[in-house]
Amino acid sequence: MIEFDEPRRRPPYETMVPLINVVFLLIIFFILVGTMGPTQEVKVDLPAGQIDDKNSRQPALIYMEKDGFVWFGKNMAPPELADMMVKNYLKEQGTDRVAISADLNAPADSLLTLMEALRKAGVKEVTLQTTQAQ
Amino acid sequence: MFEEPIRRRGLFSLTPLIDVVFQLLLFFMLTTTFMQAQMLTVTTPAASDGGLPQDANVVEIWLMADGSTRVAEKPVTPESLGDALKAVLGGRIDLTVSIFAEKGSRTQAFVSAIEAARQAGVKNVATARVDKFKP
Repeated sequence: MIEFDEPRRRPPYETMVPLINVVFLLIIFFILVGTMGPTQEVKVDLPAGQIDDKNSRQPALIYMEKDGFVWFGKNMAPPELADMMVKNYLKEQGTDRVAISADLNAPADSLLTLMEALRKAGVKEVTLQTTQAQ
Repeated sequence: MFEEPIRRRGLFSLTPLIDVVFQLLLFFMLTTTFMQAQMLTVTTPAASDGGLPQDANVVEIWLMADGSTRVAEKPVTPESLGDALKAVLGGRIDLTVSIFAEKGSRTQAFVSAIEAARQAGVKNVATARVDKFKP
C-alpha cells in the first residue's frame, strides 16, 4: 500500500500572537503608568517649581486663569468676589484643604486677593500647584 | 476525478479582537497624563495692605509690574534671585522674608520668590499685594 505524507498543518494566525502580546503589554503599561485624574476644565499653564509638598488627602481645587478669573468647580468669579464663593465651595467640597492651580501668567495680586479670601474663610494654608522645573 | 477538499476556516477570526485591542491602546495613549503636578505650601495672607512687619528683621522681595524682581531694593535676575536672597540673609534664617506683589506682577515670579525663600531656609515668609511701589 502506498503511503502519502500527510500535509503539515500550520496553525492559522500563528504570526498574530506575538503582536497581540506586545499590544496587551502596551495597554497594561499605559494603565499602570498613566494617571487619569479628573479632566481639567480650565486651561492653565502651571508655573515651574522645584519643591513638592504633596499630601495624600485630596484638597478642594480652585483654578485661576491667566486673566485672573477664578473657577470654583463650575462657577467662575473675579478674584474680588472670591470671598463670597469660597465658603460655599469649601462646604460643598467638605474639606478645608485648598489647592490652587493658577496660570503662570495670572496676576500675582489676583492670586493674593484669592488667598486673602481663603484666609477670611478660615484656611490658613494653601498649596499652589507647580510643574517640575527643568 | 477527486473532489477538492473543503477548506475549513479557523474557529474564529482574530481581526475584530485586534481592532478592539488597538482601540483600547489608542484610548489609553490619548487619555493618560504623565505630568504630575507638584504642591507648594503657602500661608494665606491677612486681608490688609501694609500690615506686614517692616523692621530690621525683615528682608523684602518686590515683584514689580514690569516682571522684574528686587531683593532689598536691588534688582536681580530670576536666575540670581536665590543667591541674592541668601547673600542678603547672610545665614540668618530667623529673619522674615516679605514678598510684595505689585499690581501687574505675575504668578511665576511669586512662586519663584516663595521657593527662593524656602530654599534659603527661611521659616517665616509673608506675602502681600501693593498697588504701586514708592521707592
